[in-house]
Amino acid sequence: MHPLLASRARLGTYLLGWVPIALMLTGLARSLGWSWREGAALALPLCLLAALLYLSAWFLCRALPLGRSVEGLSTHAMAWGTAALLMGGLWSGLAWLLARMLDFLPGLDALPQRVGAGLPVLTGLGILLYLAAVAFSYLLLALDRALVAERKGAELQLLAQESELKALRAQLNPHFLFNSLNSLSALTAVDPARAREMCVLLADFLRRSLGLGERRLVPLREELDLARAYLAIEQIRFGTRLQVDWQIDPAAEPALLPTLLLQPLVENAIKHGIVTLPEGGTLCVAAEVLEGHVLLRVENPRDEDAPCPQGLGLGLKQVRQRLLGRFGSRARFEALATETRHRVTLVFPLEVEP
Amino acid sequence: MKALIIDDEDLARAVVREHLLAHPDVEVAAECANGFEALKAVALHQPDLLFLDIQMPKLDGFEVLELLEAEGKRPAVVFVTAYDQHALRAFEAHAVDYLLKPFSKERFDAALDKARALQAARPAVAPTAAAELASTARQGKPLERIVVKDGPKVTVVHLDRLDWVQAQDDYVLLRTEAKNLLKQQTLASLETQLDPSRFIRIHRSYLLNLDRLVRVEQDSKEHRDAILRDGTRLPVSRAGYQRLRELWEGA
Repeated sequence: MHPLLASRARLGTYLLGWVPIALMLTGLARSLGWSWREGAALALPLCLLAALLYLSAWFLCRALPLGRSVEGLSTHAMAWGTAALLMGGLWSGLAWLLARMLDFLPGLDALPQRVGAGLPVLTGLGILLYLAAVAFSYLLLALDRALVAERKGAELQLLAQESELKALRAQLNPHFLFNSLNSLSALTAVDPARAREMCVLLADFLRRSLGLGERRLVPLREELDLARAYLAIEQIRFGTRLQVDWQIDPAAEPALLPTLLLQPLVENAIKHGIVTLPEGGTLCVAAEVLEGHVLLRVENPRDEDAPCPQGLGLGLKQVRQRLLGRFGSRARFEALATETRHRVTLVFPLEVEP
Repeated sequence: MKALIIDDEDLARAVVREHLLAHPDVEVAAECANGFEALKAVALHQPDLLFLDIQMPKLDGFEVLELLEAEGKRPAVVFVTAYDQHALRAFEAHAVDYLLKPFSKERFDAALDKARALQAARPAVAPTAAAELASTARQGKPLERIVVKDGPKVTVVHLDRLDWVQAQDDYVLLRTEAKNLLKQQTLASLETQLDPSRFIRIHRSYLLNLDRLVRVEQDSKEHRDAILRDGTRLPVSRAGYQRLRELWEGA
């Protein structure tokens, strides 16, 4: 289906585009000594007919796609030229017919004679106009292709995001799992009640993280609950080495954010912070609301003998990408490492579920 | 038989201790929560057997082993870890056993039997160098830091603080933060453990941290010097210059 025939508005716009051509044609006729009346009487119906006739150029162009190679061009050019000659002939033929049909009207009796004299010019014009229609059709086709590609790109991006999330969900840190099971194995002998508590915490964490992966956006509250379950388990494992300081403003809790954004930050704080310190330390998770934005911060002490991290690790990069992917320039990601501390801050607009 | 339990997690040490209750011939001489404590405890108790975690703060299990080895101490070792099992499977060939957390009583007893046998046959089995084990476990990934025992003191040198390394017979001299440290290792063996895109053998006797290099000067027809950020000049051999050029042209 021709794209210009797909909607009335498009067809209308296209036909309007022919009006200046008709006017130019009238002007040209006037300069050849025709009267205004003669010029307009021929140009208007001729252009309307040609407008419909020249739509056919699009089908020709679709059949002869422009490739990257130059070799095909010569055969294409032959086809364009032949079609243009044909259409040019048709156009002047139509002009001649019109002139014949209109000569009974008062003041137009000289029209067939004038058209007969102007036939070569008219044919040339018809050929040129057809070639312009060819160029225009290629433009339409290219636009169409760009639109399709864009839509496909957006679909692919959506798919990629979904599969990324699935991967995140599957990416349950095996170290965490095995170490937790080992702690559990120790507790069953020395403190069965604590062992049961740990089983419950572990089940809670697993259920939450599996459930969260199903959704794109969650309220911060749920992300915090997941982090609480995770850190409660790690506190059993690390004992007094891990203290957690929660500074949560309840106003921030309903804020929506991409799923599993906080969890990598907390896991990082354990892996690159607490684990590297013989005495451990205090991990801080803070959320506050400031001028319509949520400031979410995870901070941990780090080993001062270790070199400051250069650039972001894969986990943090993914967090930044997903945060900015959701909120664009309305969000900010900051990672800061000093000698003794590491801090990641996410700032994003406070949006809640309707 | 005297044993040490080395793990940074209390509960992880508790599991090993609990399993050892069934083996009265093994006495737990000490429990250590990190690598430094382990080195002290080994010096103090001279144990026959270590239950050694791999991931620990400051010094990891391999580094502990490497430092002990430098002192000529080689107790039997059972790694107890949640480390990647594929990496550790390679250890089976190396007369060391490993336990993957969490482990069963049967698996623990088997590892202990293996350690006992190893201890009895000690002179017959040549233990694998700790550095080699570590590189097996790293699965080809380059080293991130080097441990050096300097008298009673242990220094951990992170590689981005290492300027260059000079060969000195069976030792390497490590230049880091305006200090010289000596470590018993050959330059060739150290070179294989480092990231070849960061550390370049610019001369038979020198490995250079590429990040420190400012330019190469040619002072005579066949003689070139590398000029470092702090103004130090190191000799560059023809082959070394070739390697640098390949790196530049490849980049």
